[in-house]
Amino acid sequence: MGKKDTNVRMSLQTLRVLEVFLENPAEQLAGADVHQRCGIASGTLYPILLRLESAGWFVSQWESIDPSSAGRPRRRLYRLTSAGLRRASEVFASFNRGVLA
Amino acid sequence: MSQRNERSTQPELGGVTHWLIHHAARRAPESLSSRLEEEWLADLESRSSPLSRLHFAVGCCWATMVIAGDYPRSRVPAASPVAAARGFVTLIDRNFSYFSLRSGTLFLIAGLHAALFFGLITTLSHTHGLATPPDLEHIVLDPVPPKDLPPQPPGMEVTDWMVRVPKPVVPEPRNIEVEKDPTTEVVEKSPEPYSPPLDPVTPTHVVQQVAGGPGAGFPETADFYPSVSIRLEEEGLSTVRVCVDKRGRLTSEPTTVKASGSTRLDEAALKLARAGSGHYRATTEDGQAVNSCYPFGIRFQLKK
Repeated sequence: MGKKDTNVRMSLQTLRVLEVFLENPAEQLAGADVHQRCGIASGTLYPILLRLESAGWFVSQWESIDPSSAGRPRRRLYRLTSAGLRRASEVFASFNRGVLA
Repeated sequence: MSQRNERSTQPELGGVTHWLIHHAARRAPESLSSRLEEEWLADLESRSSPLSRLHFAVGCCWATMVIAGDYPRSRVPAASPVAAARGFVTLIDRNFSYFSLRSGTLFLIAGLHAALFFGLITTLSHTHGLATPPDLEHIVLDPVPPKDLPPQPPGMEVTDWMVRVPKPVVPEPRNIEVEKDPTTEVVEKSPEPYSPPLDPVTPTHVVQQVAGGPGAGFPETADFYPSVSIRLEEEGLSTVRVCVDKRGRLTSEPTTVKASGSTRLDEAALKLARAGSGHYRATTEDGQAVNSCYPFGIRFQLKK
């Protein structure tokens, strides 16, 4: 395995996804939750989530519930990593510097 | 009524959305196929509206194409029918990293629009035919009579658009006056009658010519009066012709143009003409002395 490429193309939709996660960095969110908060369509949202996960900004895991007892299937939950939190903060800080300067 | 319709359409749309998600997940990279299918089906449960669920499923199909483009070829099973179904977009994205999926889609849409526009233009040109210019028509226009012409200038006559200028007025050559002598009289004649220009329309310049004649210091006629003629009381007018240069000198031998009736007087007149060389007044043209020949008369007359 080579070194993981941590660079992510920063589109407006990617920033909006990161913004949702930065509101509460410790929170785990499913794709449906992100869609409800920022309104990005599924065709755009899931590639962004997978791209950030591949870059090491996010980690994902299955929801720890019993589908039969919960009455619904388990969801895939995403969470910011420490590296992802640092990089996302840097990205927004650079944008803020550009705006406020 | 509406609730009954919603119940009747929901199972149908539910089957479609599940099939779409299942189909999209199968087209994704093999390592992600099962995960994405389970994840998308779980997230589908959060959508309540059938149309929202259908929109979500269609979005998953689009997401599969994007994800397949993001993942390298090694992660995609080569023999899988998914690879063939992934089609053009995945191929160009793998081979040309700079050619993103979005760019390819935009080029595809632009190409379709261009083809549609070309087809529309071609159809219109065949329907209406090529624009051909009308046949040329020769029309002979009647001459337009002149209207409101300005008044004619005085002394000019306008006829058939030609301007006729009146003949220029040229002053008559000045008569030569010779000093009066008590015994003789020199009569000068006009050298040549004035002839107007042949072309009356184009006289651009009229030369002011003044004929020459005996000038200052010209010998006295009495000094050349023959003594025999005085005794015989011969009188007469002899006309001689002289050629004079610019300085009043003879350029050739004087000749008798008209005899006086006395050979002695005629010879005396020629002697007088020769003696006057250098004292002739040269003919002038526009004030400039020129060489010329002219006749003048010498009258021998006795005192009464």
